[in-house]
Amino acid sequence: MQPEKFYYDNKIVRNFGIATVIWGIIGMTVGLIIAIQLYHPAANMGNQYTTYGRIRPLHTNAVIFAFVGNAIFMGVYYSLQRLLKARMFSDALSYIHFWGWQFIIVSAVITLPLGLTTSHEYAELEWPIDIAITLIWVVFGINMFGTIFKRRERHLYVAIWFYIATFVTIAVLHIVNSLELPVSAFKSYMVYAGVQDALVQWWYGHNAVAFFLTTPYLGMMYYFLPKMANRPIYSYKLSILHFWALIFIYIWAGPHHLLYTTLPGWAQSLGVAFSIMLIAPSWGGMINGLLTLRGAWDKVRDDVTLKFMVVGLTAYGMATFEGPMLSLKFVNGFAHFSDWIIAHVHVGALGWNGFLTFAILYWLIPRIYKTELFSKKLASFHFWIGTLGILFYAIPMYWAGFTQSLMLKEFTPEGILKYPNFLETTLQILPMHMMRSAGGAMYLFGVIVMAYNLTRTALQGKLLANEAAQAMPLEPVHTIVREGAWHRRLERKPIKMLIAALLVILVGTFVELMPTLTISSNIPTIASVKPYTPLELEGRDLYIREGCSNCHSQTVRPFRSETERYGEYSKAGEFVYDHPFLWGSKRTGPDLAREGQKYGNAWHYNHLMDPRLMSPGSIMPNYDWLITQNLDTSLTKKKINAMRTLGVPYALGYENKAGQDLDKQAQGIADNLAKDHIKVKSNKEVIAIIAYLQRLGTDIKANKTASK
Amino acid sequence: MRYLSTTLFILLAFMVKPVFAEDDHSLITPQVQNYIGYGAIILAMLLFIGVMLVLLKTFKVLTRIILKSEGYTEEQITAELQPAKKEKKQKAEVWQKLLSLRPLAEEKELLIAHDYDGIQELDNPIPAWFMYLFYATIIFAAGYLLTYHVFKVAPLQYDEYKTEMAQADIANKIYLSKAANRVDENTVKLTKDPTVLAAGQVVFKTTCVACHGEHAQGNVGPNLTDDYWLHGNKINDLFKTIKYGVLSKGMPTWEKQLSPKQISDVANYVKSIKGTNPSNPKEPQGTKETDDAGPAPKKQLVSVLVK
Repeated sequence: MQPEKFYYDNKIVRNFGIATVIWGIIGMTVGLIIAIQLYHPAANMGNQYTTYGRIRPLHTNAVIFAFVGNAIFMGVYYSLQRLLKARMFSDALSYIHFWGWQFIIVSAVITLPLGLTTSHEYAELEWPIDIAITLIWVVFGINMFGTIFKRRERHLYVAIWFYIATFVTIAVLHIVNSLELPVSAFKSYMVYAGVQDALVQWWYGHNAVAFFLTTPYLGMMYYFLPKMANRPIYSYKLSILHFWALIFIYIWAGPHHLLYTTLPGWAQSLGVAFSIMLIAPSWGGMINGLLTLRGAWDKVRDDVTLKFMVVGLTAYGMATFEGPMLSLKFVNGFAHFSDWIIAHVHVGALGWNGFLTFAILYWLIPRIYKTELFSKKLASFHFWIGTLGILFYAIPMYWAGFTQSLMLKEFTPEGILKYPNFLETTLQILPMHMMRSAGGAMYLFGVIVMAYNLTRTALQGKLLANEAAQAMPLEPVHTIVREGAWHRRLERKPIKMLIAALLVILVGTFVELMPTLTISSNIPTIASVKPYTPLELEGRDLYIREGCSNCHSQTVRPFRSETERYGEYSKAGEFVYDHPFLWGSKRTGPDLAREGQKYGNAWHYNHLMDPRLMSPGSIMPNYDWLITQNLDTSLTKKKINAMRTLGVPYALGYENKAGQDLDKQAQGIADNLAKDHIKVKSNKEVIAIIAYLQRLGTDIKANKTASK
Repeated sequence: MRYLSTTLFILLAFMVKPVFAEDDHSLITPQVQNYIGYGAIILAMLLFIGVMLVLLKTFKVLTRIILKSEGYTEEQITAELQPAKKEKKQKAEVWQKLLSLRPLAEEKELLIAHDYDGIQELDNPIPAWFMYLFYATIIFAAGYLLTYHVFKVAPLQYDEYKTEMAQADIANKIYLSKAANRVDENTVKLTKDPTVLAAGQVVFKTTCVACHGEHAQGNVGPNLTDDYWLHGNKINDLFKTIKYGVLSKGMPTWEKQLSPKQISDVANYVKSIKGTNPSNPKEPQGTKETDDAGPAPKKQLVSVLVK
């Protein structure tokens, strides 16, 4: 048999590489802007489109799906071709994949500042974009499996196992978490409500971390690290064990994001138990990586790419140990909703994803441009400023998290909260937030230096768009000698591998999701909880549009410090009409689950216009546009209908009365405000949002009064 | 020796504890007592180490004398007394054993005869400690689920909450039984004591100005300096309004945020600023009241207090 000649496609790798750098800078800049807004609210430039609630999702989407996403495709397209000894299946599909993905990101950059959001964290994009993501993901899958089928390498290397698991799991996660009922071209309601919606969201959210930020990066680590260090992978057996254990166990851990909420206790406990079991499988990747460097540690001293890899792996090890610890109830009760979590995710994101991406870029760009890196000194500078940036980011945030949580939980001997005013605890941690933004700025500066360094590298070289290679074609199947080891056999059967990975992740998915989604006794209903009025529903949609849930949670946990501060702890039955749920995951401001009727309408009006009028020193931005903008009621009818379809008991034909009811309630609030000399027309947005805020958590109070 | 020191430490700790537990009326606060205890423990430990060192020195001197009497030369004695030199390599070996690593020199035997784009894999066993860690976490997880859901020996969140609240209740009762002058809306007294008014002013500036204005002239909330009152102007009425709030009118509940004393202080402060005629006052709200008015119109309040 003759060796076959073929060409690797480097152009697609280069394109994804450029996209990675550009989106990285954009995503991190947005991150820096919102970090500054947290101590200097005016940094929103007085503009609704650049205000925290709307662009915090832009930051997370840009760094996860644009920066990391493009980096994944860059790494996969480079390594997959070489590991399979084949060019990508189809240049056309590669092209569609690249531009399709960039189109999706651009549509996110446009829609999120406009307030078009589903409010599901890391899945904020509205339904048409969700469909586009699905299509592009399928294109990626066809291209990947097409390449696998025409491979010239019999067995699939461990990196490819991780790529396959990534592909199939992200597909499942994305589809289930995007089950929405469209109301208009850019508005939809989640199919599930309350507790169920929360469970689906955090099953997704947690596994987006697992299968978008972890498994593809482990796959890339398995290709690029041995290449960089020129060392064999330490243990093949460990690869097998930690791969299967990781994907099996990870999928179960989602409920640890919902500890002490109204999620059924058994689901919470499963989340905790599986999180703890996740330590070893996660560490398996770190250990296999670090031990691969055995005998090559002298290279780490000189080689900046290896330095990035080592810090990246270490950050991965720290974050994956911290994660299980955070899932322990005692720690979670303290850390959840605080800056500790922000520190935790950024150790993972900046250290693991960021540094691995930088290492791969520094290694790969000179190679495909057939030249040397423009400046090793600048790369080294990037490494040090990046590392310092991570420290300056993480340490103040840990500090802030501890401080605020301790303050929020402290009681005086009289038995009242030591810091009853939430704002007091916020003001205490502002210096830490300032330091954090300095750390973030350092990190971002490093990335800009890298962009310059890589551009100069590219300019001094010439892209080798099609890299020649040759390999023997695969021998016919009947010539294969039967291999003893079962896993070795599996490694040459990609479809079986795909199915096996799918089955493994579906076990946890079914056991955890199905009972909560189907058995009604898991969500006890409360008779006094009624559907929202049309005005409240519109107000709730404004709350979603403005991204209020990015800073305000809506779930009171059963802790004395919370029931004293906010009121009775939340009940599962209170959320049954909440499509989507709005529990949030961070308390930059106080919880709002029991906000209704705590203050007067006038207080809310003034507070929304300028929070500092009612709470001096507040870091909440002004929402003055709510006062000037008219409430759009053109969709009210459709919204009522959609909610009814989802099971909210609005009477048949109510949609025709809804407009009338809405006007009446709005007029009532306007009249009430007029008593306090606030002249505002009843058709303004602020009226709707006040109506919603005044309703929050009051149904259960009504029940109490009635029963007395 | 390690056991000895541990035992000694525990013994000492037990000896120290009861001494301080007995006397409740001591002038020294429990905190200071604790520090004294810690100090004593540390001192004892230091003393212990000192004794050990002296003993060691004694042994060395004694060995020297005995060996000399047995006819050893000076060099022989020094050689005997030198601790056996550890080879530097040993540390690395221990490390390797712990990680179940095989020496790099043997790596060739472990290479799997296959490469992917030049990447080779070693057939190293999975490190034993890694497997122990994995098994330990699995046992923990199983134990966790059994504890909470099969044997139900540990409380889930709502039981945890009940316990927490019950404990706080007990602690609060004990505190209240000790605290003198526990004030509520029935026992609050009108006073012009300047310290009370000053304390009340501080509370007013931090909690009330947002709604009632910098000089109590009224803003979202009513003017507090005029003769008109919505919920009564007696000190008891003020206390009650502040404590429970009047939710229908937008007055929040302050019971959970201000201590009874603070409520009493600020109520007295509000009483003291009547007639200060601040600029830009809000128009009168409620009924005109005089200081010597009879019982305040309570029925208004009762209907509002859902509590």
